Amino acid sequence: MTSEAARRRFTEQVLPHLDDAYTLARWLTGNPTDAEDVVQDACMRALRALDGAPVEHPRAWLLAIIRNTAFTWLAKNRPHAVVLAGGAEEAHAHQGALEEQAAPTPEEALIAKADRESVAAAIDVLPIVFKETLVMREINGLSYREIAETTGAPIGTVMSRLARARTLMIDKLGRMA
Amino acid sequence: MIGASDREDRSLMLHAALDGELDAAGVIEMERALAADRNLAAEYARLEALRQAIRTQAPRERAPEALRARIIAAAGSSEADARHLTLDTRILKRPSWRTFAAAIAATIVVAVGVQNLISTTGSPDEATLAVVAGHMRGQISGQPVDVASSDRHTVKPWLAAKLPVAAMVVDLAPEGFELLGGRIDIVGGNPAPTLVYKRRQHLVSVTELRAKIADYPATPRRKTLDGYPVIIWKDDARAYAAVSDLAPMELDAFVAAFRKAAAKERGQTGETEGGQG
Repeated sequence: MTSEAARRRFTEQVLPHLDDAYTLARWLTGNPTDAEDVVQDACMRALRALDGAPVEHPRAWLLAIIRNTAFTWLAKNRPHAVVLAGGAEEAHAHQGALEEQAAPTPEEALIAKADRESVAAAIDVLPIVFKETLVMREINGLSYREIAETTGAPIGTVMSRLARARTLMIDKLGRMA
Repeated sequence: MIGASDREDRSLMLHAALDGELDAAGVIEMERALAADRNLAAEYARLEALRQAIRTQAPRERAPEALRARIIAAAGSSEADARHLTLDTRILKRPSWRTFAAAIAATIVVAVGVQNLISTTGSPDEATLAVVAGHMRGQISGQPVDVASSDRHTVKPWLAAKLPVAAMVVDLAPEGFELLGGRIDIVGGNPAPTLVYKRRQHLVSVTELRAKIADYPATPRRKTLDGYPVIIWKDDARAYAAVSDLAPMELDAFVAAFRKAAAKERGQTGETEGGQG
């Protein structure tokens, strides 16, 4: 049973961020149909949670629920994606952030003219922790602090994941061009 | 000789600069570094190019309307009010749901009735409930109108193009109710023209229904549905329901102003626009 107050808070705090929620779910699950399921499921969780106290940062809070719901979905339907994520970050930790910067890097003009398919493909192949950080920053427009709040990672980790994600994308897009 | 860890820090600083996350001192330091180091400047240019590519090629997406509608309906129906559950379910199944969901502003809704408007609905009360639901949905979706205009000569043709009957659209700005626009609600499975007016931050929805079917009183009567004050009345062949979160007295004032303007409008057009019968 959901209280009237929860429904009002849902209207005021959750519904305005539905586009952000859907966009994040879209990238995390990799397809629109599953994204819709994740968003709907997450919104119902959010509604139930709002029976308690109001939340302080509704957007980061909602995206955290989206993220958890999406990860549950991924663990069930794409266990491979989640396993890969952990492995990649571990490898990265030993390697030092931008070691491969030494390799010749593509011109910015090549990157700037990448088309829709190339950009989507470059985001899609990112390991999940890099992908979510990049999407939250570049597409949802979250600050470092908000991303840290949403993902539960320290800001330093957010920063290195973001740098890593961008480097991988630049690499990929440079090679595609 | 710069160590790997310094290089990593420098790189993170570069990203932070791009993201506007540096403080003033950091910005100055980074600007100096960029001016002095061509490689760093080139890296920064690549990051900007990447950002540009993502912004243009992978923009934030809009949640599909159907999803938004499902969530709104699910959130609403989880309350212990079974009436709404059935109402919402019925509306959701209709093909015109999309139009419906996109509609609704804040607070005064006037809906205009159309052929057989209420015939599939059991009672006038159910029709009024549907009007209130439309009003609520508009507020929830943050998109109270399908056509946004303070000019009734824009709103009226828009409604006319989508409905078999011309809707009453009046200018109430002199009375302090600014026209926000119009939308089409679904009442009893039929489209009902609804106007949305604004006073301060409050919205009024006025929905027009066919008087023959809605059976509203000739003298405006106020009731409360789901916590919203609603005023129902009829003039000639048209029935109206106005909903708002305004104070009831202000809603009274709105209805008085609307009726006066509508009477004047009817006088001018010789009431030829109704097309009822």
